[in-house]
Parts: sequence; C-alpha cells; structure tokens
Amino acid sequence: MARPTTILKTILGRREATILPGAANGLFARIIEDIGYQAVYVTGAGVANMYLGAPDIGLTTLTEIAGHVAAIADAVALPLLVDADTGFGNPVNMVRTVKVLERAGAAGLQIEDQVFPKKCGHFDGKEVVPLEEMLAKIKAAVDTRRDGDLQIVARTDARAILGLQAAIDRASAMIEAGADVTFVEAPTSADELAQIARALSVPQVANIVFGGRTPELGQQKFAELGFGCVLYANAALQAALKASHDVLAALKREGSLASVADRLAGFDIRQQTVAKPKYDELERRYR
Amino acid sequence: MKATTRLRQLIAAPEILVAPGAYDGITARLIEHAGFSALYMTGAGTSASFGLPDYGLLTMTEMVGNAAKITAAASSLPLIADGDTGYGTELNVVRTVQEHERAGTAGIHIEDQVSPKRCGHLDGKELVSTEEFLAKIRAAVATRRDPDFLIIARTDARSVAGFDEAIRRANGAMEAGADLAFVESPQTLEEVAMVPQRVRGPCLLNVVWGGKTPQVDLREAQIMGYKIAILPGMLLKTVYGACDAALAALKETHRHPTPLFDGNVRDGFRRFGADEWDALRTRFRDPPPTAAE
Repeated sequence: MARPTTILKTILGRREATILPGAANGLFARIIEDIGYQAVYVTGAGVANMYLGAPDIGLTTLTEIAGHVAAIADAVALPLLVDADTGFGNPVNMVRTVKVLERAGAAGLQIEDQVFPKKCGHFDGKEVVPLEEMLAKIKAAVDTRRDGDLQIVARTDARAILGLQAAIDRASAMIEAGADVTFVEAPTSADELAQIARALSVPQVANIVFGGRTPELGQQKFAELGFGCVLYANAALQAALKASHDVLAALKREGSLASVADRLAGFDIRQQTVAKPKYDELERRYR
Repeated sequence: MKATTRLRQLIAAPEILVAPGAYDGITARLIEHAGFSALYMTGAGTSASFGLPDYGLLTMTEMVGNAAKITAAASSLPLIADGDTGYGTELNVVRTVQEHERAGTAGIHIEDQVSPKRCGHLDGKELVSTEEFLAKIRAAVATRRDPDFLIIARTDARSVAGFDEAIRRANGAMEAGADLAFVESPQTLEEVAMVPQRVRGPCLLNVVWGGKTPQVDLREAQIMGYKIAILPGMLLKTVYGACDAALAALKETHRHPTPLFDGNVRDGFRRFGADEWDALRTRFRDPPPTAAE
C-alpha cells in the first residue's frame, strides 16, 4: 500500500483542484473520511479556535499541534496536509518542527514566510521575514524530512504586504529552494489566481476562507487553472459553530431541544462517525 | 502556605535566597533533601534533558510540562522557572504566565532576547526593543491571577548594548511592574557589585560556571544587596562529569564502577520517598478507628 506521503504527492500532482476540507480534531477528520474526500488539511486556525478558544495569532505550540496531528492520524487513514505555521521560529526550529510533525503522522507540511509568531492569513497587520530566511527554512525542511515524498508546501503571505508580483517572485524562489508545492496566500481576484497558476511551475494551493479575501471560483475553474488542491480549512468549523450557537440559544430560550431537533445529529450517526462498530468488533476479536 | 507567598517571604528575609537549578524530578528531590529553601528550573538543563542545546527549540508546552514535574517532585519548595522570552510576543507571554501558574510555578523570568533565541554562539544575541520588552513585563504582571506570583525581568543587554543599557532596561522593567531584576552576565566583579546599587529594586544574580561573570562568594553577593542567587547549571554539569567518568570506567574495567552514590537498591528508592509510599500501602486498608467511638 502506498504511503500517505506518496498518496498526497499524487493528489497534488494531478492538478485537479482536489478539495481538502480542514479538520481541527479527529471527529471532523472522521466526517471528511466518511464523505469520501481524499485527504485532510489539519488547520492551525481551527486548532487555535477549537482547542484554546483563541484566535489564530500564534498561541499554539508545536507540541500542541503535534498532539492534534497524532490523534487525527490515528482516527483516519487519509493523508494529512498539516499547517506548520512558520515552523515555530527560525530555520533551526524548522528542523525540529519537521522531525516532530513527520513523526506525528503528517504527509505534507505547509510552512509560511510570516514573522514568528504568525497571524491568520486573512487578518490585517501581517509581516513577512526576509526571503533569505524563508529559503533557509525550506532548505532545512527538505534536508530534514526522512521520507522524500513528504510534501513541503511553501506559503507566502507577501501578497497583502508587497503585492502580487513580489509574492509570485517569492514563490518562484521557494520552488528553487526545494518546495514541492507553493501557496500564494490571499489573492483577491480570479485574475490574480490565474496569474499565480500561470507563473509558477509546481502545483498550487488555493485557500477559500468563508468571509475571507479570495473569491470562490468553484472546483472546476480551479482545476482548469491547474491548482493542485483547494483548502476549505474551516468550513466544518464554521458550520459547527453556527449550528452549536443556534441550538444552544434555542435550548436556553425554550428550555428544550424540540424546536431545533432537525439541527442535531442522531445518536446512531454520532456513534457511526466515531467508528463505534469498529471498536465493538475489536472488543469481540480480543475477548 | 502557597508557594508564591513563601517565595515572597524568602525574598523579604535578610539572607540571600539560594536556588540551585533542577531539570527533572531527580534533581528537584535532591535539592529538597539537601535543605535548600527554593529551586530554579533551568531552561538549558530542560533542553539538555531532551538531548537538545539551549537554542530555543523547546516549546512552552514542554517547558511548562517540566516545571509541573518539578513542582510535583519537590512540592515543599517554591519553584522559580526560566520563562525564556515568553515564547513569542506579549500575547504569548500571557499564555506562558497562565500555564506556569497552573503548573504550580511560583515565579518566572522573562527576557528581552529576540524570540526564539537564535543560534547564539554564531550570531551573538539579539535584543527586542525596550518597548517590546516592557510590553511583555506589563502583560506578565497583568495576567497573573495570584498577586504573589513573581515576575522577574531579565535583560540580556549587557553583552550586546553595554552595561548602562542593561541597567536602563532593568529599571524600565521595574517601573513596568516587575518584582525583581535579573541583569544577565555582568562581566567584572565591579559590574556585579554595581547592579544592586543602580537597579531600583531587588536583584537576582545568575551564578554560571565558565560563563562571562566571575565567580562570587554568595555571602559577598548578599552584602552587595542581591536577594536571590540561582545556580542553573551546577547539578547538570555535575551529572555530565559523573556520568562521563562512570561510563569511561565501565569501558576500561568491564565491571560496574563504584558509583558516587554508593548505596544499595533500597537506599536509592528511599531518596525518592519509598518510606512515605510504604506507609500508604497499609494506611487505607482498615477503616479509621475514631469515627464511631
């Protein structure tokens, strides 16, 4: 059976704009697997939101992200593309970050050129490090991976700060430094997305943040442009957030779930999602 | 009494508080047994216990996890921990203080190096601006839930920007609400003596073997006005040396060398509370006799 790293490499190399929904925990990853997606994006913003109840401003540590990756890798068989932020520091920290996250079960690592500690790509007030420092990080990541197919996805946040051309130039340099895939974050129009895909030789990543800066062209259009994957990093989180809010507000208001019963997953669906039948089978087998 | 309050009392006493450095449960227990009143968690030693150099590679989670292990092992002593740079900006400092308080740490020091500390031996240390440093101190002070939790401001400015700048930063941090100042690596005995005179507030002395600061008798440091002396690497370096010697002796003699701790298996366990745990083996077997009578 192919390794998860090789599967992810193949998926990205097809340039079919494969949709990678984001998961911040094992439950969301299980849903993604059940529905039939091919890979999972482990979202740093989602972990910050769901684990700490905090915004995506670089508060989560490498140790905490690795713990989440390991749990998600145990919960599903799909390859995981993991948000590794800035590598949690300088190029020397990147070495440890790659070791730790590869061991935790990542099939690909997304690393970015923001100043450590980072901010969400769709926030204002981002800063980027000098290009040389980012290239050193990519080289460190490439040198450190044990599995040559571990995908190094190099992200630049320069679009919002230095403009589109500077961001494309950065991405080109990152490819020369060894990045397998590049990711120009937060382009603001269809034309910019097309320019990015035309200018860069390796598969590209698009990131669709609901309420964010990048237009949602739809999977077919992204595939025509040759994007390797399209991240919907927090679609599941935002859906769960709204549903949780609505249901709990109704419960408080009405003292019962009666009016919102159709918003809740049934007990059976819940147990199916967490693979209870599989665990029941294990219990029988080892009794 | 809370560990934080105990630490405040120890600092208020006329004697200098000597806090040897621990990096795990063993060193923590040994410091407790030796009769010291407080202990210090060394970031360098914690990194070394992961097999890593002190290059800012460990995460806040790992550092705080080690602090929790040490406070559990030496529960009678207040722990002062190395909080590095607070692992990022002042926002990361907020989380660092929250997590250390929860781990049972009685105080931490926050420094003005760039985060993460870079390959210091290649590039030299780099400092953040004074404004950023003071923002971190203010964030730490505002975050602590226990007003007795000690915030120690460490400046690394001496070797980068000179002694006067280091004093200026230390005084700025005291005005921003720090409880103690830690001027890292004064380079002469005169500088060591000058720190408590020029800093407006209590001071901590870092006693490092083979570092940039000359060795000082701790009684003299007390006369100079220092309130705390930490010895972060003393036990760590002792362990290196003892282990190197034992391993070399094993290779050479093909026999178990006589260890520096020449006790039997039972004696070893007794250093780590075997008697107390043995008493618990039987204590809960029978109902307490007093209840009905």
